[in-house]
Amino acid sequence: MSLPSWVEPVARYILTDGLPGTLRVSAVAVVGSAVIGVVLGTLITIKFRPLQALIRIYVEVFRGLPILVTVFIVHFGVPSFSPELRFAPLTSASIALVLWGSAQVAEATRGAVQSIPHEQHEAAAALGFGWTGRHAWVILPQALRRLLPPFISLLVNIIQNSTLALTIGGIEILQAGKSQQQRLTYPEPIGIGQEHAFEIFTGVAILFFLISFPLTRLAAVLEKRLA
Amino acid sequence: MLLAVTYHLWGFVSENWEELLDGLLKTLKVSAIAIVGAFLIGAVLGAARAHRIPVVSQLTAVYVEVIRNTPILVQIFLIFYALPQAGITLNQFTTAWLAVMIWGGAFNSENFRAGFEAVPYRYREAGYALGFSPRETFLYVTLPIGGRIALPSTINTYISVIKNTSLMYVIGYTELTTTAQNISAASLETLEALTVLGVVYLTLVWSLSAAIRLLENRLALPETR
Repeated sequence: MSLPSWVEPVARYILTDGLPGTLRVSAVAVVGSAVIGVVLGTLITIKFRPLQALIRIYVEVFRGLPILVTVFIVHFGVPSFSPELRFAPLTSASIALVLWGSAQVAEATRGAVQSIPHEQHEAAAALGFGWTGRHAWVILPQALRRLLPPFISLLVNIIQNSTLALTIGGIEILQAGKSQQQRLTYPEPIGIGQEHAFEIFTGVAILFFLISFPLTRLAAVLEKRLA
Repeated sequence: MLLAVTYHLWGFVSENWEELLDGLLKTLKVSAIAIVGAFLIGAVLGAARAHRIPVVSQLTAVYVEVIRNTPILVQIFLIFYALPQAGITLNQFTTAWLAVMIWGGAFNSENFRAGFEAVPYRYREAGYALGFSPRETFLYVTLPIGGRIALPSTINTYISVIKNTSLMYVIGYTELTTTAQNISAASLETLEALTVLGVVYLTLVWSLSAAIRLLENRLALPETR
């Protein structure tokens, strides 16, 4: 059985133009979320009210907003203040996902840092570590172990939510599929005058499943092992 | 280049309140239908999973994994653009509640499964000892207790359902986000529209989160208090 001739260019476009967009947004978003989230989640454990309140507001706002609204804020709202803050669609999507993801990570980090027994802090302090050294060398390495499963779940969520880039014109896997689906409905020579939404979007769903499923399994296994 | 930032929130709201209210009502309507549906799907399939009912249990596992591992936007596109090819054409409203209901139902069946599985076996034993049939034991013992255990996580899923209705922007259904975005695209009152969106969604989400905390205390089982 051979595939219809329209499949090859569609699949090629999704993999060469769509997939890199998804991977770029996801990579930036997951690294940014992890770094900013761990820093904020650690800082919020310091008993200094104004700082705690600021971080709490940040976390509650970006966890509370639909990510699509955050995407619109970054892409349409922020440039109103300065034209230099006008970003390319994929950049805006990455920033929005970092705002959302870092709020998630901050909340998880706070829990993980606070779950480290107090003796560990005292032991580190007795060895002469200051606050920074104590957290960098003693507390966070232990907390990060517990954060590994949530980090992988976050990666899965970020990969899936990177599709939101299409709402502002970013080309990622789903947008690539959509533009090819529309192209095929045009008459020749641009398209073939046929509707293939079912095949294309099912293919896109399978592609996302193949990326996500191993990661969710990994997160579940790690969760069991680290519990 | 100098950008003159004008900001008239009140003018924006008073000029567009009818449209915005209509959008909000659509958001609430779609959310309400989806939440009721997700509750039923979750309770039934969660029970099937927890009691390891053959076939249904395995099919539920597949349903949950497919929904969890594919983006909800892809699911919306499949319902709205792909189903018509199979002869099933759904309008924007139906697509909206159906998509978030299917999504919420998957997450909810996991929530309920965990809740039902957390009900200590001795409670069910007590039910049987009282002469309850398995069905009665589920309805009068496992469901009320397991449902209470699952309540906080199910409300979290409902919060996500409400937030996800904003994604109907991609099919042009004029719920709150689409309405605000359409108005701002025409009038260039971007910041005003985004303020309205932020205030409304955060009010909805934060009040439900507060409700979780209240309910957690009120409904906690006596022995876990």
